[in-house]
Amino acid sequence: MPPPSGPGQKFSLPGVKHLIAVASGKGGVGKSTVAANLAVALQMAGQRVGLMDADIYGPSVPLMFGLGQVDQTRTPFPIEKYGVKLMSMGFLVDPGQAVIWRGPKVAQAVGSFLAQIPWGDLDFLIIDLPPGTGDAQLTLSQQAPLTGAIIVTTPGEVSLIDARKGVKMFEEVRVPVLGVIENMSHFTSADGQKHAIFGTGGGAKLAAEAGVPFLGELPIDPRVATAGDAGEPVVRKHPESPVSAAYVELARTVVAEMTKRPQANALPTVEM
Amino acid sequence: MPADVLPLSIKRDGDAFRIEWSDGVAASVPFLTLRNNCPCATCNDERTKPADPFRVLSAREVSAGLPVPVAMKAVGHYAYQITWNDGHDAGIFTLDALRRLGHPATPPKDLEHHAPA
Repeated sequence: MPPPSGPGQKFSLPGVKHLIAVASGKGGVGKSTVAANLAVALQMAGQRVGLMDADIYGPSVPLMFGLGQVDQTRTPFPIEKYGVKLMSMGFLVDPGQAVIWRGPKVAQAVGSFLAQIPWGDLDFLIIDLPPGTGDAQLTLSQQAPLTGAIIVTTPGEVSLIDARKGVKMFEEVRVPVLGVIENMSHFTSADGQKHAIFGTGGGAKLAAEAGVPFLGELPIDPRVATAGDAGEPVVRKHPESPVSAAYVELARTVVAEMTKRPQANALPTVEM
Repeated sequence: MPADVLPLSIKRDGDAFRIEWSDGVAASVPFLTLRNNCPCATCNDERTKPADPFRVLSAREVSAGLPVPVAMKAVGHYAYQITWNDGHDAGIFTLDALRRLGHPATPPKDLEHHAPA
């Protein structure tokens, strides 16, 4: 695979209408779970959807969709499951193997996923970003025509510290933040009482600070984790659960928001 | 600079780029100013050192003469990457930097209204 050259090169992805990054500064807040369930919820709402796993070191899309390493010579990418087109480093590397790479190779892999995978015609390409504000994020910001970003946070302050950096990064590279979604908001016990296990109000606070919409709360439900581990996102496996309803609502908001927003124009070409 | 202010056009105009911004400002950014403010790590580092009066120019620098851009490509939604005639291309100039380095030829539209008569 020839590496896509320098940051000045821009991939056009002409068939993709909206390219949305799911991000957070912090790890472990449920970015991949949110990305997978949002992708499936959008597909269930009749959209043509792709999901690109930009977490090169710790890919989780294969597990969440009941897939694993495949024979690269025989499998055409992207792989389709539950109607969603998927690409992940996890398809290329044995799960027991570690990807021990320096930054430039990560940037190269992310660039290849964007430019060399025939995504075809899609309404949404969701990108599951790794935590942080480093190589994968920069490559996407410089080379992908991102239409927006969704920031995932948990309610507590520890998550907010890093999520703020994520918001700041998208401001710097002028990618519109569509809003903040709060994951693991609360747990409803059998007696109907809500328990705020990881604190309260972080998502709404961050959204207010950044001046972006608050996209809602996703409750804690053990079925989210079991469904993910079993290879079928909860929104599809347990569509009746409150957390699935929250994902359906999130998908509806994202579709409404994207139809409302004017398409971001590319920067003008310089006349030499 | 507000995030919704964008360049409408960038044109070479002699030894400078003339940039028209969406808020009505038209500014000229000289090539020399751009090169002297190259934001890449190497140039940033060079600027922190005292100038070496005995520095010997490389053959490439000599043959290139004054710095002139040979290409300027958009980077995402936020910056431009300039390739210079001596081969240097590591600098990515954000829109904010391009705006800051320009000498405005016309003030922003909303300022005109507040200008004293």
